[in-house]
Amino acid sequence: MRKFLFLVASFAMLTMASFAQGNRTVKGKVSDSQGNPLSGVSVRGGNAGTSTDASGSFSLSLPASVKSLSFSSVGFSTLSKSISGNAMDVKMTQENAALSEVVVVGYGTQKRSDLTGAVATVKAPDIENKPFSSVDKILQGQVAGLQSVASSGQPGANQAILIRGASSISASTSPLWVVDGIPLNTGDAARLQTTSNLLSTLNPNDIESITVLKDAASQSIYGSRAANGVIVVTTKKGKAGKTRVRFDSEVGSSDIAYFNEMYRPLNAPEYVALTKEGLVNAGYTQANIDATIAGLGGTSGVDFNWLDAISKTSPQQQYNVTMDGGNEKTTFYLSGGQFAQDGTTLNSKLKRYSGNIRLTHKLNDRLNINFNLNGGNVSQRAPLAGGSFGNPVLSAYFLRPTHSAYNPDGSFNLVSTQLGGLHNTIALSEIDKRYLRQFSLRGSLSADYRILDNLKFKTAYGSDYNVLEEDQYNNPLHGDGAASNGRAYSYYTRYFNWVWTNTLDWNQSLLKNGDLMLNAQVGYESQESQGYFGSLQNQQFPPTLALTWPASGASPTTASASISEYTFTSTFASGNLNYKNRYVVSGSFRRDGSSRFGPKNKYGNFWSVGGSWNVDNEAFMQNVKLISQLKLRGSYGVNGNAGIGNYDWAPSYGYGANYNQQPGSAPGNVGDSSLTWELNKPLDLGLDVSILNNRVNVSFDWYKRTSEDLLLGVQLSRTTGFSSTTRNTGSMSNKGVEITLNIVPVKTKDFTWTVDFNFAANKNKILSLPNGADIASGNQIIRQGQSLYSYFLRNYAGVDPANGDPLWYADTTLKAKTNVYPGAISRTISGNSLPKYFGSFTNTFNYKGFSLEFQLYYNLGNYLYDSWGSYYLGSGFGGTYNKVQRQLDRWTAAGQVTDVPKYVYGGNKSFQSASTFYLVKGDFVRLRNLQLGYSLPKSVLSKLKIGNAFFYTRGANLYTWVKDKKMPFDPEQGTGSATNLNVFIPKTVTVGLNVTF
Amino acid sequence: MNQIKKPIWILLLAGVATFSSCKKEFLELNSPTSLVPAIALGKEADLLVALRGAYASLRNVDHMGRTVPMIGDIMADNAYQSTLNTNRYTLFNNYTYNTLDGNVAGLWSAAYNTILRCNNVINASITPNTANVDQYKGEAYAVRALCYFNLVRYFSKPFSEDPNALGVPIVTTYNPDDKPTRAKVSDVYNLMIADLEKAYSLMTKYTNSSQFSKYAAKGLQAKVYLTKGDNANALTAALDVINNGGFTALTAATHASYWANSTVTTSKLETLMEVSSDATANLAFDALSYLYSQAGNYGDYLATDDLISKYAATDVRLGLYPRVTRSGVQVFSVNKYPVISGDYSDTKVLRLSEMYLIAAEASVSTNETNAKTYLNFITSRRNATAITSTGATLRNDIIQERRKELAFEGDRYMDMLRLKVDVVRGANYPVAARSFPVSNFRRQLPLPQSELDANANIRSQQNPGY
Repeated sequence: MRKFLFLVASFAMLTMASFAQGNRTVKGKVSDSQGNPLSGVSVRGGNAGTSTDASGSFSLSLPASVKSLSFSSVGFSTLSKSISGNAMDVKMTQENAALSEVVVVGYGTQKRSDLTGAVATVKAPDIENKPFSSVDKILQGQVAGLQSVASSGQPGANQAILIRGASSISASTSPLWVVDGIPLNTGDAARLQTTSNLLSTLNPNDIESITVLKDAASQSIYGSRAANGVIVVTTKKGKAGKTRVRFDSEVGSSDIAYFNEMYRPLNAPEYVALTKEGLVNAGYTQANIDATIAGLGGTSGVDFNWLDAISKTSPQQQYNVTMDGGNEKTTFYLSGGQFAQDGTTLNSKLKRYSGNIRLTHKLNDRLNINFNLNGGNVSQRAPLAGGSFGNPVLSAYFLRPTHSAYNPDGSFNLVSTQLGGLHNTIALSEIDKRYLRQFSLRGSLSADYRILDNLKFKTAYGSDYNVLEEDQYNNPLHGDGAASNGRAYSYYTRYFNWVWTNTLDWNQSLLKNGDLMLNAQVGYESQESQGYFGSLQNQQFPPTLALTWPASGASPTTASASISEYTFTSTFASGNLNYKNRYVVSGSFRRDGSSRFGPKNKYGNFWSVGGSWNVDNEAFMQNVKLISQLKLRGSYGVNGNAGIGNYDWAPSYGYGANYNQQPGSAPGNVGDSSLTWELNKPLDLGLDVSILNNRVNVSFDWYKRTSEDLLLGVQLSRTTGFSSTTRNTGSMSNKGVEITLNIVPVKTKDFTWTVDFNFAANKNKILSLPNGADIASGNQIIRQGQSLYSYFLRNYAGVDPANGDPLWYADTTLKAKTNVYPGAISRTISGNSLPKYFGSFTNTFNYKGFSLEFQLYYNLGNYLYDSWGSYYLGSGFGGTYNKVQRQLDRWTAAGQVTDVPKYVYGGNKSFQSASTFYLVKGDFVRLRNLQLGYSLPKSVLSKLKIGNAFFYTRGANLYTWVKDKKMPFDPEQGTGSATNLNVFIPKTVTVGLNVTF
Repeated sequence: MNQIKKPIWILLLAGVATFSSCKKEFLELNSPTSLVPAIALGKEADLLVALRGAYASLRNVDHMGRTVPMIGDIMADNAYQSTLNTNRYTLFNNYTYNTLDGNVAGLWSAAYNTILRCNNVINASITPNTANVDQYKGEAYAVRALCYFNLVRYFSKPFSEDPNALGVPIVTTYNPDDKPTRAKVSDVYNLMIADLEKAYSLMTKYTNSSQFSKYAAKGLQAKVYLTKGDNANALTAALDVINNGGFTALTAATHASYWANSTVTTSKLETLMEVSSDATANLAFDALSYLYSQAGNYGDYLATDDLISKYAATDVRLGLYPRVTRSGVQVFSVNKYPVISGDYSDTKVLRLSEMYLIAAEASVSTNETNAKTYLNFITSRRNATAITSTGATLRNDIIQERRKELAFEGDRYMDMLRLKVDVVRGANYPVAARSFPVSNFRRQLPLPQSELDANANIRSQQNPGY
């Protein structure tokens, strides 16, 4: 901190060194090499500066002592010209586009050639108008090493993102999202409804660019929250000049993306026959069998397809209007959007309205003001998921086909015994209510002041405000509300998060000839996030379906409100030294303090060093025409992960363990006053090559990152009264390679073919655990020397052909078989839920106005567990529920060879218990995007007086290939790769139109 | 210098000011909904609040809330799973549970969680040590004994079979890093008896039917002694409750209304101790009542034909088992826990009637006349046939009367364990699950895998067979 104050003081001193003198006015015009006037070029001399207008002209009043002017503009080489007379004409030459590209990084921008880190960018054209409800879903396949996985097809569902593997076992593995400088609260903030996604209120069409920071050099400036990678989002700005209006629309429909006939629910005759067989096999008397079959609806004559009844083809649409423009002093950008998407099952839908305003104003030559406000409102209905009786997908597979959802008179069938004790979800989706309304505002106000030509101070206040209103009504007649004669909930959640950032940027040439440049930045930031939660529930409703708000209930059973907060204060500094654009050395340092850690360890220091060698700028390379870029990069550093609960460090006694409606307390948290950050130490080596006039561009990265002092949920003996506590212990590594390839095989006047390919391979290894002991985690194990998310299961050994018994391997040698479900000791590691390789392969063809793009997303080498298979494929377990077609492969006669055991009503041995039978290979390749488009030619456009018009038709997730033919549901099931009867992931077909005026 | 305008200085000063505003307090945030343990257990009044937390945890679905009262009858011959069911406790109906079973792990964790809450009350040093403090600590001792009683009976060989067999870990102080091993069965019994003795001597108050009182603790001690096979002490303890407890006996006239009531009482009618569920704190769909009641959408478990056949036609208790049609079959439903909404039915832990049954059983080997007197105290109040038998028949009649009186209260299987009798079930159960002799390893539940995984010291002490 003292260092920072010193710097502030010295910069202030420097500013005093400038003196006022007599002035003169220099005028001129700036054009490109073809002679076209260039607007918006920054013209600077001494402390004075301006920019060119639409005709490329400028006029600048200068002290006589200033001898030269410098001209700079994005995409052009910066030019310095000595002043001769009072009028100058200047021609600027274009830079190599790829190298001069400015990349948004932490707390500022950098020229790509200055980068020492592993940074990937995604630009607006790849983000706009996609049929996905939030930007995190759009990122799938777009960045090497960024794994974005859905677990549900519910519009607005939360999405899991892992960058370069999972770096933590128990703390968060989600990256930090920074939107226009504000570190956001992201993720699923729903407390009552099934799923939500705070990013779903952000309209992807408002995004200009996304930068993904993947290594120490780029991440560490974000200190204690950078370990899972940082995703920096910049929203769109207006451009000076003629006001542009743009209209985008897309309409279409979606359907289930993947369906396996082997996992089709049985029809009534199949179910009844199978159940009879199972009852006989269980040894029931004929009278009992007949009665049971009748009770299960076997004589009802009904054959009802619940899956058809709960799934549907769903409409989808989005409309966006933007307007931008301005002059040299002020620019604006305005947008409004509407996005509506229905899921593939009943009452699964989302509708978003969003708007964005950005204003920039040059108060004077030194002071810029920037204002930005981005708001979105999402209304969402999501059905229950997993084992909830009200989950429509569960009912599709569990409800017996022998009973209809409707009575003969058309009313809903609400007879509990006909529904196997489950719920008629078709009725519930009509009469129960499940609403989520989510409103977000993200805004910032900033000012930057150029103290000196090379010294800039910036202060920015940003906030991120999210409100979630969740309402639910469960009717008194049937379903979850029946037991309490109806119940209704109203939950209110608010997150208000503010951040104040102050930075000082300094650029200085350290040698007279300009060969050695220094860019440095120091900053201070404070942040506070406050969560506010109100919950109420009322029960005992009047016997009607019309009164659905808690106001109508008679027995208030939940009345709760509380808050949860965290704070951060940080000081940081970064810099890079660039010698002749050949050698770049960078460094960063950040000191974070956080309320989330114990009094003994509130502060942590994070840093990075990086270097790059732009070989192509060496003198000896100037004659090598083949290679336009050759860059070697390397970085190492330390950053952290603070992704745990706000008060996890504190030993606590909680309240709410009430008895007879009197207050009761209970131990809440073991706590640890020395709890602190989890450390991540990434090492990255990279190579960027462009050859053949940038027709072939390759980026290659190798990385190894080690996570230490893991914030681990350490398992405790249950006899202590606790099951786990968070401690800093254990370590883990992620090692991998990433390749990004961009090739233009054909490029003629009319035809271009572009190939984009990215590939990532990551290998996770747990290096140490407390006492080296395994940590059980459901069907998985956390074991030293192995990868995280390893399945640890008993090995299924098929069916005994003699009697149809299920067999398992008795021990880990996988030799002896047994029909008794073997002990835990027989479990072995049987695959991993994270893929070994993933990425995408995209081909784009442009012929005149036509374009064709197809993108394949691939995910290889993982395994997927069918969590609910025991019920619909358990050889009789849960006999009152329906089964899937694969169950018909059961053993029926001696000598028969099959992998599904004899069907015994109630269950055959422990076949339904976890084993490798329910594990499938997870490899899949999916046609993520297929798009055919046409742009109207210029000649037509000018007649119609419009700037641009583009028509297209698109298919998303049109085709899915799976390696394992026994893949029960969509292969995309979250990073945990376990099915959970979620809304089916959709395939979507849309047509769209983009017009610019 | 003139060119440097004021705003920049203001901004710079503001920047500097942020450092001074970086006060320590900005980073010091405490949980708004919890207290540090020292404060939460600091005063007499806090102790009462912590004690309620212990009682509340008894309501856990896998402890007294549902699993213990359910499987105590399912694993025996009273309750069976209807073929039309929601798949709850199937593995107990069929004796096919294993180390990964959720109910087994739940029972283990829930009981030890309650033990921790009790330990914190018992070990709190509160000054002055008032009568209230003693009362609360006394209640905590009794709750702790109840937890150990359930643990040792389900996870260990019965005391009557082998007092030196592996019991369950004894935990009486808070240590989150403790990895204890199993104590001997006899050590667990010694702890329970000592705890209940302390509870008896510390307590002075009767609060209501859902909290332990002096005589409820004594009643539990009587049951512990009986289970241990110490008839003399069981008799003394049971008679202490009968003669000095001040509880009134259930009669044929009050029987139906007693079981229909779901509220906590202070009338001292019959109930020595029950675990309360009320209109806001209850298990909703997971409540015990939901699995028996035919009025909701579960009603999975029914009374066996064998049990029903044991009641005389005049017996008022038959009224609790109405005949219904389920899945097309005429069956006997269970109506002991009828309330499935609002103030849910409570779980009975101990009743005065059981004290008479304990007294009868504990005295049968020494004084059959007394035994019959105690026994017929019950039969006469149920409109049942009076028992006049002698010798081994009388002993069996006493056990059968226990079965009839305490059915669906989680007691029957416990009797079969302590009396070392084979579980023999009728045609209501699947063919493969009708006979479980004393030698069957599944009569003891497996130690849950989660415990073995977290506690290396206990790993080698898994029950045989799993």
